Amino acid sequence: MSTSTPQKTLSRIAAHRLQKELAEWQANPPTGFKHKATDDIQLWIIEVTGAPGTLYENEQYYLQVDFPEQYPMEAPQVIFVKDPPMHPHIYSNGHICLDILYDSWSPAMTVSSICMSILSMLSSSTSKERPPDNDRYVRNCRNGRSPKETRWWFHDDKV
Amino acid sequence: MASRISSASKQAELLKDQGNLYFKKERFGAAIDAYTEAITLCSDVPVYWTNRALCHRKRNEWERMESDCRKALELDKHAVKAHYMLGLALLQRECYAEAVKHLEKALELSRGGKPTSYMVEEIWRELAKAKYIEWEVVSNARRKKQKEVREICEKALKEEYEAAVKKLKDKEGKLNDIKQLNDTRISDMSMGEVILIEDDERVDSGEMEADDFQSTVDTSKVSELSRLNLLYKERLQALSEIFNKAGSPDKPAEIPEYLCCGITMDIFRDPVITPSGVTYERAVLLEHLRKVGKFDPLTRADLQPNQVVSNLAIKEGVQAFLAENGQMGSFSSVIIYERWSFGGFV
Repeated sequence: MSTSTPQKTLSRIAAHRLQKELAEWQANPPTGFKHKATDDIQLWIIEVTGAPGTLYENEQYYLQVDFPEQYPMEAPQVIFVKDPPMHPHIYSNGHICLDILYDSWSPAMTVSSICMSILSMLSSSTSKERPPDNDRYVRNCRNGRSPKETRWWFHDDKV
Repeated sequence: MASRISSASKQAELLKDQGNLYFKKERFGAAIDAYTEAITLCSDVPVYWTNRALCHRKRNEWERMESDCRKALELDKHAVKAHYMLGLALLQRECYAEAVKHLEKALELSRGGKPTSYMVEEIWRELAKAKYIEWEVVSNARRKKQKEVREICEKALKEEYEAAVKKLKDKEGKLNDIKQLNDTRISDMSMGEVILIEDDERVDSGEMEADDFQSTVDTSKVSELSRLNLLYKERLQALSEIFNKAGSPDKPAEIPEYLCCGITMDIFRDPVITPSGVTYERAVLLEHLRKVGKFDPLTRADLQPNQVVSNLAIKEGVQAFLAENGQMGSFSSVIIYERWSFGGFV
């Protein structure tokens, strides 16, 4: 996934918060998620396992969380990498249509709470299909545009 | 006469300006000379002293810096910079308690002015460092003392236990001497049992072979020994609990969650509460309202900057926690405090 972001330095507040979040995650990881160790605290790779009793039961997906310099004043960029799950709100390029990642972001949210939202989004799905505008959207993102630059209009909550 | 005084003070002001210029060019020696001349003309202007002190600081001349600061404080006991630099000089001399006193004074005075000035951040940082070192020195000394006392107590308990066991054995020994006249087997038995005091089952099986009279004597002796042993262990345990408790203030403590801001995930410095009842770090919440949106980050209720008020209870809680836990708990937290000097958030 070519969401190239130039190497940036985290603000002190961001650096401290990420350390705290990582420590909290390690002590108390959200169910169904596994943090893949990297040597970059600004880029997390998280393994997601579909919840039992849902369409994605036991399936494994990977999230990439990219933290901006001004985190948590700005939302992290969260996308699926490798093979994104088939879901009406998830585009084939991994972009996720979820309001809290964009317009409804709040600095009180954490990686952990984002993960829970994504899992609940997966769990509530009733059909494994791409969003209706998938092809058009993905075509528009070909130049490696970040989903944060998208002007989202959010699908309703009922999947 | 009046004009001469005013011309002297004018001259001194000029010298000070000259000193400031030299200082900016990092010509600290020349700056010191200029300030010294200004002081010679007008020795009652605190700024001349604090400016010269700052030059001394740049040259690591701590003693001179200290004496200039003290002089400035004699002239004006509210001179922030004098308190601050005196604090630094005292840190150098390892007079932590006094350094903390002056840095606290400087912080208090500078907060009265512009609350987010760079000065406050710098003072805060130095104060955090001073308090931590002070705590560390004091707690190390206390730990050492406690270790000493603990060892003495443990030794005393051990001696008391051993003395009690010996007394019991002596008593038993005398009994055995008498019994030995009747049955030599008995003394062998009891020898064995002394070794076996901690193994009740084997002692019990041994008793089965003894006659009824002997069994009663042995049982009482064995139970007495194990009672002593148990008592000794209980006392050691109690002692260890006492010392662990006494030593707990000297262990770096985790910052409790209720003293941490949900956004910074760090201990509060200037907590404010919203109409939703949630407390945040002031600077960061205001930043959120400016950049993200006019809503409470946690409850998403509408929120305007003028609706937030200081949460004094939490502020006191933080102060109490810091006072009890050697300011920061760990030195790494001191570094956390530097984040406030990061421009974007203040």
